[in-house]
Amino acid sequence: MPNPIKPEKSVITTCAYCGVGCGFKAETRGEKIVRMIPWKEGKANHGHSCIKGRFAYDYYNAPDRVLTPLIRSSINDPWKSVSWQEAFDYAASEFKRIQAKFGVKSIGAVSSSRCTNEEIFLTQKLARAVLGNNNIDNCARICHSPTQFGLTNTIGAGAASQHFDSILQADVIMVVGANPTEGHPVFGSMMKRRIREGAKLIVIDPRKTETVESAHCKADVHLAIRPGTNVAILDSIAHVIVREKLYNEAFVRARCEVKEFENWMALVGDDKYAPELIGPIANVDPADIRKVARMYAGGPNSTIYYGLGVTEHSQGSTGVMCLGNLGLSCGMLGREGVGVNPLRGQGNVQGGSCLGSWPHVFSGYRFVTDYATRSSFEAEWGVTLDAEPGLRLPNMLDAAVAGSFKGMYIMGEDPVQSDPNQHHVIAAMKSMECVVLHDLFLNETSKYAHVFFPGSSSLEKDGTFTNAERRVSRVRKVIEPLAGLQDWEITVKFMNAMGYNVSYSNPGEVLDEIARLSPNYSGMSFALIDRIGSAQWPCNVDAPEGTEVLHREKFPRANGLGTFMLTEYVPTSERTSDRYPFLLTTGRILTQYNVGTQTRRTPNSLWHPEDLLEINEQDAVACGVRDGDWVKMSSKFGQIELRARISERVNPGIVYTTFHHAKSKANAVTSDLSDWATNCPEYKVTAVDVVRINAPTEDASLDAERLEPAE
Amino acid sequence: MWHEVRGLKDEVDFGTPPRDGPPVTLEIDGVMITVPAGSSVMLAATKADRAIPKLCATDMLEAFGSCRVCLVEIEGRNGFPASCTTPVVEGMKVKTRSETLKRLRKGVLGLYLSDFPQSEIPDGWSEFHETLKAEGITSHPYGEAGANHFDAKVDDSNPYFLFDPTKCIVCSRCVRACAEVQGTFAITIDGRGFESKVVASQDQPFLQSECVSCGACVQACPSHALVEKSLFEGEYKNA
Repeated sequence: MPNPIKPEKSVITTCAYCGVGCGFKAETRGEKIVRMIPWKEGKANHGHSCIKGRFAYDYYNAPDRVLTPLIRSSINDPWKSVSWQEAFDYAASEFKRIQAKFGVKSIGAVSSSRCTNEEIFLTQKLARAVLGNNNIDNCARICHSPTQFGLTNTIGAGAASQHFDSILQADVIMVVGANPTEGHPVFGSMMKRRIREGAKLIVIDPRKTETVESAHCKADVHLAIRPGTNVAILDSIAHVIVREKLYNEAFVRARCEVKEFENWMALVGDDKYAPELIGPIANVDPADIRKVARMYAGGPNSTIYYGLGVTEHSQGSTGVMCLGNLGLSCGMLGREGVGVNPLRGQGNVQGGSCLGSWPHVFSGYRFVTDYATRSSFEAEWGVTLDAEPGLRLPNMLDAAVAGSFKGMYIMGEDPVQSDPNQHHVIAAMKSMECVVLHDLFLNETSKYAHVFFPGSSSLEKDGTFTNAERRVSRVRKVIEPLAGLQDWEITVKFMNAMGYNVSYSNPGEVLDEIARLSPNYSGMSFALIDRIGSAQWPCNVDAPEGTEVLHREKFPRANGLGTFMLTEYVPTSERTSDRYPFLLTTGRILTQYNVGTQTRRTPNSLWHPEDLLEINEQDAVACGVRDGDWVKMSSKFGQIELRARISERVNPGIVYTTFHHAKSKANAVTSDLSDWATNCPEYKVTAVDVVRINAPTEDASLDAERLEPAE
Repeated sequence: MWHEVRGLKDEVDFGTPPRDGPPVTLEIDGVMITVPAGSSVMLAATKADRAIPKLCATDMLEAFGSCRVCLVEIEGRNGFPASCTTPVVEGMKVKTRSETLKRLRKGVLGLYLSDFPQSEIPDGWSEFHETLKAEGITSHPYGEAGANHFDAKVDDSNPYFLFDPTKCIVCSRCVRACAEVQGTFAITIDGRGFESKVVASQDQPFLQSECVSCGACVQACPSHALVEKSLFEGEYKNA
């Protein structure tokens, strides 16, 4: 082999894939990216990387990348390429026409966790200041909105209590409904490093995930629960902690609302949550529940990491509260090595969550109904703002079907593929008069769009991301935007076309505006991040370089005390029947990312060319399914076709698939139930039937051909 | 507790992981330097601006002591200890350069050079190439007729990186990166002595092995035996 060619330049930036937010050195030769090297000083990754960030960056250069703005007056027409100005003017005139005809609130916006903080902030500014309503939502709605709700109501902040490195001081690691070695690989490697040093591992997950057992890393206890029984099992763990007096009374007395603690003890201490009763419901050995409770309470440092397996349930918020309650009761908060930590799926879910891309709150989770907060925004933006909370994304879609909601600006999202109950989403899209989609590629949603703004990849723009540990890191432009404009510029120019006058010379000025308007970000600036590499919020006068561990002295609630929420277990109404005898749950795989828009356009698909249905051998035999057979999986909501893989990772009665490929349409079968508090969809439990078929129907294979990457 | 990961610097390779023990002061080539207890002599030397040549050591991995390039002299000790595996001791006096050390390093590097494709020496830019240059090693006395690995086949099964065993110096950095950094344990050294070779899983192509393509081994490789395909023009572009 000849010698490789040396790169010429490098730029330090942040990976846009998962919530770990690894620092990378992007190396270039000419205007071409030739290598991504993990940055040794990156505080989230310390020089490590995974296949996605390290290698799967070439999607930016995919042949089907859209490079010019597109418009059309009807979704049945072909797209027409136009200039940027024409596209801005057309979209603006349509939005104005719709608002004149159907009212100010007939339009809304959706931002994405793949956008930078600055873009997310600008999108909610577009909705509030320019469209004049609070119809703004973001995709955290469908993944981690229960985190926000559940943690705020217990420990006071809807964010990870720790920084990633804290795990290196943990003695007991409890992973609930997450699979870090696949979904958050670099954090997963750090976790495994700590386990090899002797920390104990508890995994609560219906599936025997890669995290449960891998080389030199084996869970001490794996509670392979029946999907949908999270709250029951967590309450039962709490039951043991209460009945065996394993809680940390000194901590509770000093740091928590004691009255609420007693109420909680009365609830979970009730006989009905005894492991001997919950065990059979959740399909786990009662002795294992007791073992987990003793191990967690015993610490000395126990930490919880959880994912969408907790949140994406009809009791998602309750499940998160259970975790908050557990942390508080055992005193596992407020120091290194402990904590309650959501593992965020997308690179900037935390940013999306804390920068006000919600219909009811501004950045920093301050209510739009609050006069003082609203006034501060009105003063900065020079307009009067709507005091009434807007529509959530599912409500926007409902309103569209009902005929009162007519237009939407969607930035970096593909709701048709990623949101639950696809048929309903499509009906909603079809009934709107102007859907403006801002993305890199035409996708499932673009079939129903009227305007397409060709966006810039994270390699082509400046800004910041906030990762799962609240760390704000710089995204730096490595190459010029292929379609000519950076995403933040596109949003600003669209705001201008709508008649709102604003300009920024660079996104650092947007971050400055965020800092002026958001207490947790008040100390953030490009200058600070350039100087110290990255900073975790809260970053303010008290913590000028950010805060690694939250809740050291008090909890961010009015009285400074943590509190306990009552977490009664209410089984989901989605249950198996003669017609739908299996429970489907979903998850991720290492090589693909979310709905696969980026990774399916890279050689990563070599490892995962299609979504497979994992089924236990016992069930497979009963259904006459052999490994590799095509099966039809149906639920009350829809049906899909995919291939089966016989697997010991799932227990009898449970089937599992990933949702990375558009052709398998996993979300066409998932239920339309959602979290009682936040509308986060219940992706993780759906009753289904599985039937062997001879071959996929023509429709499925056609889709496959069209949507697969052109390699 | 976490100094090993937090103490890393982008532009410096300390050779062994940073530590956070109490301060220890020692003398390196007459320069006094204070480093945390548990640090290696190699790390102390790097901090004292007396970096010692090395091949099998890098600061994201625990010391291994296999390449024998980083030998030093320590007052009061016999022999020539490897600086990567020798922890610092209060008052220690270390010599990193001497005629004997130069001769020893030349001997070791010459052996490595003799089994490296000669045509790939002139315009290389790997750590191995840079070390040869820094030590002024341009030739070796072993001739061309000896046993070598020049016919070993390139494994280009992985779409993102390739493994060219002819450039492998069997320093085990890839093996250790896969174990210590990534935690997958997909790579090992198969065979003994001159037969030793890096293999993935059960001597399988990388793509078919347990490798998860995290890139840690590629980053750790000092000789471009494991290297990103994207750095080549032509056939390996987006392979």
